[in-house]
Amino acid sequence: MTSDPPAVMLEAVSKWYGEVIGINDVSLAIDGGVTGVLGPNGAGKSTLFKLLLGRLRPSQGAVRLFGTDPWESTSPFRRVGYVSETEPLYEWMTALDFLTTMARLHGMTREEAKNRAEHVLDFVGLSEVRHKEVGKYSKGMRQRVKIAHALVHDPDLIILDEPLHGCDPLARTSIMSVIRELGNRGKTVIVSSHILEEIERITEQIVILHNGRLLALGNLHAIRGLLDKHPHRIMLETESPRKLAKELISEGPIYGVRFPEEGCLEIQTGDLSAAHAILPSAIVNSGIKVTSVENPDDNLDSLLGYLVGG
Amino acid sequence: MDVQGRQLSETVWTKLDRKAGAVVELTIRQLRHKISTWVVLSLGAVLMIMLLAFYIDAVRDGFEPVDNDGDSVDEDRDGYPLGQERKYGTSDWDGEQFPGSGTYIYEGEIDWNDENREISGNRTWEGMAYLESTWIDFDYKGGQWDYIIDWDDVTVCPDTRGVVFEDWMPDYSTACQLENGTYVTNGKFTAEGNLSVPMNYFLSWGYITGIFEVPKDPKEMYIDEDDIDWDGSGGSQGIDDDGDCLRIDWFTQNDVNGDLMWWQEPHNPDSNGNGIPCDVIWVIDPETGEVISINADSSVDEDPVDENYVGEAGHRTFVIATGKIAFVLLLGLFLPLFLSLGLVRDETERGTLHYLLSKPIHRGEFILYRVLGYLVVVSIFVLFLSLFMALITSVIGPGDSLVRIGDFPVWLGIAFTTILVLAAYGSLFNTIGLLLPKYGVYLCIVIGVWEFAMGFTTLISPSSTVASLSVSHWGLQLIDSIVLASWPDTIQFSQMSYAFSLDTGLEWIWSPPVHTLDTNNPYMGIITSVVVLLSTSAAMIGIGSAVFSKREIM
Repeated sequence: MTSDPPAVMLEAVSKWYGEVIGINDVSLAIDGGVTGVLGPNGAGKSTLFKLLLGRLRPSQGAVRLFGTDPWESTSPFRRVGYVSETEPLYEWMTALDFLTTMARLHGMTREEAKNRAEHVLDFVGLSEVRHKEVGKYSKGMRQRVKIAHALVHDPDLIILDEPLHGCDPLARTSIMSVIRELGNRGKTVIVSSHILEEIERITEQIVILHNGRLLALGNLHAIRGLLDKHPHRIMLETESPRKLAKELISEGPIYGVRFPEEGCLEIQTGDLSAAHAILPSAIVNSGIKVTSVENPDDNLDSLLGYLVGG
Repeated sequence: MDVQGRQLSETVWTKLDRKAGAVVELTIRQLRHKISTWVVLSLGAVLMIMLLAFYIDAVRDGFEPVDNDGDSVDEDRDGYPLGQERKYGTSDWDGEQFPGSGTYIYEGEIDWNDENREISGNRTWEGMAYLESTWIDFDYKGGQWDYIIDWDDVTVCPDTRGVVFEDWMPDYSTACQLENGTYVTNGKFTAEGNLSVPMNYFLSWGYITGIFEVPKDPKEMYIDEDDIDWDGSGGSQGIDDDGDCLRIDWFTQNDVNGDLMWWQEPHNPDSNGNGIPCDVIWVIDPETGEVISINADSSVDEDPVDENYVGEAGHRTFVIATGKIAFVLLLGLFLPLFLSLGLVRDETERGTLHYLLSKPIHRGEFILYRVLGYLVVVSIFVLFLSLFMALITSVIGPGDSLVRIGDFPVWLGIAFTTILVLAAYGSLFNTIGLLLPKYGVYLCIVIGVWEFAMGFTTLISPSSTVASLSVSHWGLQLIDSIVLASWPDTIQFSQMSYAFSLDTGLEWIWSPPVHTLDTNNPYMGIITSVVVLLSTSAAMIGIGSAVFSKREIM
């Protein structure tokens, strides 16, 4: 018995643009659920997606979508929906019109296409405005039209390149719930972002790219756990930073303190989880009022800094 | 259902059709939303309306009779047309020479240094003198460029110029009158009286013999006076109605050496060399029954009644010229320049290409469907325009029937040709847009200039080898073939235009098709031209597809 090939598979893939490296020796397989592709601008996320969509040919290695090379064959695109980072749409078309046309490009009849278009517009919450020209849509609505277009043929793999970029909080929430829902329905969803928090709210499965290299692959919390074992800072806002420092310095996980500014205490720890475990009771025991607790190192840059720096 | 039991609607081919339909429809709708589409289509429509206006104007004015052999002129303005002067052997460039003008016989003279400078008598005089006349023959007149004084124009001699024959003299072939009534002459005249010749001047005299009265023929007699005499069969035909080929009873004048006078051109009554003087050889193709060649002896059937021939031939010239120049060369080049160059390129520039390329459609197919979409738009436009032109011209064109039904195949053929040319240029320009997104338009303009040049080369020399390296050549050849297939007697009209100097332009705008593989069959010409044009389109789409399929899209 043979198992189905994974939705996405890269084997030692590299892509150079002349002297510039886009992707460097990346191997990964993604199948099922929502996967976040994280990386700062220029990390290689767009290159990765273009390779997956057959728009670029790998300089080395092999790219497979459902077991087929997308550069050689367009057949995998029957099962793929793609939402690009770029803004433009056919401004003069209505959303329904646009989606119907896109569905017909997948070989549906006019009637099937229209029914599917109505269905996905309802799914992304645009059925009320489906007869309006997309040129008159807000940024968030346009983004949802693009997502709808990627879903119109009910694909197994959906690739979304920075789908939350430039959206207002309301639109972000709405789009995130759409993406989670797709994951819940058993689709393979790949979402790129350069903001850790965004991805964290959508999925725990991540791929981290940096300077074209695959830095990490797996569960976000597991990766975070690795990060936790490294020197970390916790910022506390309190009226008596020195008094609080005296109380906390005796605790095991905390090995140092600093006073960066008035009313602020910086704790240095080698085990973030352990430090957070003892902090609440230690603060309560000290009887000192603490107004906020923040982890400034808990972002993508810190994560990358840790991963790159080892 | 197919062999696997699937409904037709589920087969791969049907899905391909649907995708093709979707891309084609999207392309059409995109073109409809481009301003440049409407601008270029409107300009095309305005061009056709202007041509129609010229045509309607020409038809309304009617077909004026034309003096094809040019013998109704009167160059020397003696009142006798050239045709009449030829019969009498006189020159139409010398006003003293005209039918019945007689011959001047010299009698005597007073030379510039003779002592006796007075003479009296009734004679014809020629030279400079004072004339005290008792009688002047005011009827003795010539035409332009002669020495005969026109007595109607005699004025008073001006005293402001000083003493006559010392300070000034009258102009050539004029006279003036002094205050005392004496005339001062510088020319030829017939008069009675006393003449005094000033020192250093010359006067001769004589008489004119053989004068006879010849009524002046009206010019119109020499227009359309030698109609085409043809019974519809081949062989030796033609009648020299005006007698200028046979020249029976024509006068000829010879100089002292026995040669013809300068104005009497030598004449060969059998210039077509078939041994029969003054005839026309009509060659008919035994297979088609159509006239394929006409070879007339000079001055036979050379001035036909234009209305009978120019109307039909002129109408065909208009249709063919419109098809070749307006449809194939102008619409054929300008529509794709504006509408096909950016078929794929513009999607890349707008950033919408990924919507189309992330679908299960091969890039080569995509190019084909895009070109098809463009072709649907331009084809509808061209078909509409050609049918519009056909309707108007077939109703107001020459002929007894209400509508010239026979014109419709030609107009549809023109539309068909234009669509094939639009396909070839469209595929070519789209490929150039892909290869050179930034500077492709300049290359297209260069190609456009080349195509224009080769188009006009084809009009002048249809068998030009260089011209056959152009799309326009094959388009024009296709129209030539379609015209011959639809109007088989066009060769006849073209040959008639050439053989009888009819002013139709048909022989310039139309020639029998060249690429018939030596069969002279217009349908073979249609097949070869269509194959070449379709192959060009296919090759261009193939090159575009090959380039686009292997191109990385950033």
